[in-house]
Amino acid sequence: MDTTRLLPVDDDLDTGGFFEAARRHELVIRRCNGCDAVLHMPRAYCHTCGSWDGRWEPVGGRGSVYSWTVVAHQVHPAYPTPYTVVLVELDDLPAARLVGFLDGRPPLTAGQPMQVWFEELDDGVVLPQWRTVDTSARSSEPEGTHP
Amino acid sequence: MSIATEISHRDRCAIAGIGATDFSRMSGRSDLTLATQAALAAIEDAGMVPADIDGIVRSDMDSVMHNDLADSLGIPDITYWAQVGPGGVAPCAMIGQAVAAIMSGQATNVLVFRELNGRSGRRFGLSAEAQTRVGGAGSYDEFFSPYGLLTPGQVFAMMAQRHMIEYGTTPEELAHIALTCRARANANPRAQMHDRPLTMDDYLGARQISEPLRLFDFCLETDGACAVVVTSAERAKDGPQPPAMIRAVAQGSIPNPQPGIQYPVLMRESITELPARSVATTLYRRAGLGPEDIDVAQIYDCFSITVLIQLEDWGFCKKGEGGPFVASGEIDLRGRLPINTGGGHLSEGYIHGMNHIVEGVRQIRGTSTSQVVGAETCLVTCTPLPPGSALILGKA
Repeated sequence: MDTTRLLPVDDDLDTGGFFEAARRHELVIRRCNGCDAVLHMPRAYCHTCGSWDGRWEPVGGRGSVYSWTVVAHQVHPAYPTPYTVVLVELDDLPAARLVGFLDGRPPLTAGQPMQVWFEELDDGVVLPQWRTVDTSARSSEPEGTHP
Repeated sequence: MSIATEISHRDRCAIAGIGATDFSRMSGRSDLTLATQAALAAIEDAGMVPADIDGIVRSDMDSVMHNDLADSLGIPDITYWAQVGPGGVAPCAMIGQAVAAIMSGQATNVLVFRELNGRSGRRFGLSAEAQTRVGGAGSYDEFFSPYGLLTPGQVFAMMAQRHMIEYGTTPEELAHIALTCRARANANPRAQMHDRPLTMDDYLGARQISEPLRLFDFCLETDGACAVVVTSAERAKDGPQPPAMIRAVAQGSIPNPQPGIQYPVLMRESITELPARSVATTLYRRAGLGPEDIDVAQIYDCFSITVLIQLEDWGFCKKGEGGPFVASGEIDLRGRLPINTGGGHLSEGYIHGMNHIVEGVRQIRGTSTSQVVGAETCLVTCTPLPPGSALILGKA
């Protein structure tokens, strides 16, 4: 991927904690302290119990493929095609899904195991990313590097 | 919800006039000119003059404001205006605002319009991201755009892939939606694809845009405008055109719909359903009708998969059976439910839902270029990703 690619706003009042944890190479999901409801997308108020008290809860970095698309038609200069956007369901919290970027068009199947890794970008931004875990070559790579 | 005390608007208002510009890739005209042309056509079609209009409803994505259009048309006084969004969700709800204004005495004749230079101006098919930092401030784009998820088509491709995973839906089945809309466009001289036949081989051989969606699964980026005049049933019956009665209109959402208008919907419990399910429940109840009573439908078709999912959500087939339903010919002109009889967004033009309302009126008048013989009711849906709206038109 090009280094001029889009970077997330990582200090938003409601979502910044996700990226703050990513800088520590930790994957977190917002949960309610009142009733443990999963608040994903992250927000301050829990409509289930009325609490404003929430936490960023660490979750395991394993997931599975829920859906994906292979982008073949380029729409942005920093995202040359083909590439794949994968939608991953977390093993620990199936109610929460996250997306990841994969180069090219790797073979994917629904339910395929995925492993989080942390991609270091410009300006100290860190993005949780996902890679397949079905090949030993990829799973042996250290965190923080591109698979 | 206090259903028992709900004031019925059934058949109390009607669409008395329709207007549209040509649909093209390069209008060469300003948004204000497009809106004015469509509005003038609709007002004339209703047998009115601009001074008869006292209400205007717009989409939140129109660049023309209510007062811009009132000024352009020379309307002396607008006593009611409103805007509805987001985007393609709006048109049927815009009609709902007009009905509410008329029934509450805030306006008499309400002009409803949507204008866009969707090809020569801002293109929905390209990423709008111009900044290096994206997201925040409630957009939640920070969870998606940095990963290359950048357009509505890519989101619907994820939904199509999931529908294929859960129900075995095939590209050939999706193709039937594109081919059906194209066949209707081939009969419609106003359609952008009027002169362009489409075969299954063309469809399957076309380039992938965002797999599993191909070129012809995508709607057309279009320059153009549409407008309609909504008035009371009584006034509509005195007009020059057969009134298209507004049997019922409805808006609706679902529990935990997720914020924003596109990417966060991928976090919904199911991504193979749309808020159409709840809009359908409300609309059918208000109309006193069910799916079996619908003679023809204009189904919001930003993408082919959007149609397939809505056919399930609106009860025309069972959940998961949208693929076999569309492949069986049931959506064709002589099928159980002819759809998108002007060609739809896929092949007539993409006026963000408004051309579906115009075509729905033509079906009730009996003037469609693909007229469904004996059509008494027409469903129009604006139920893509976010909360949705829809209406049912009927003969007087």
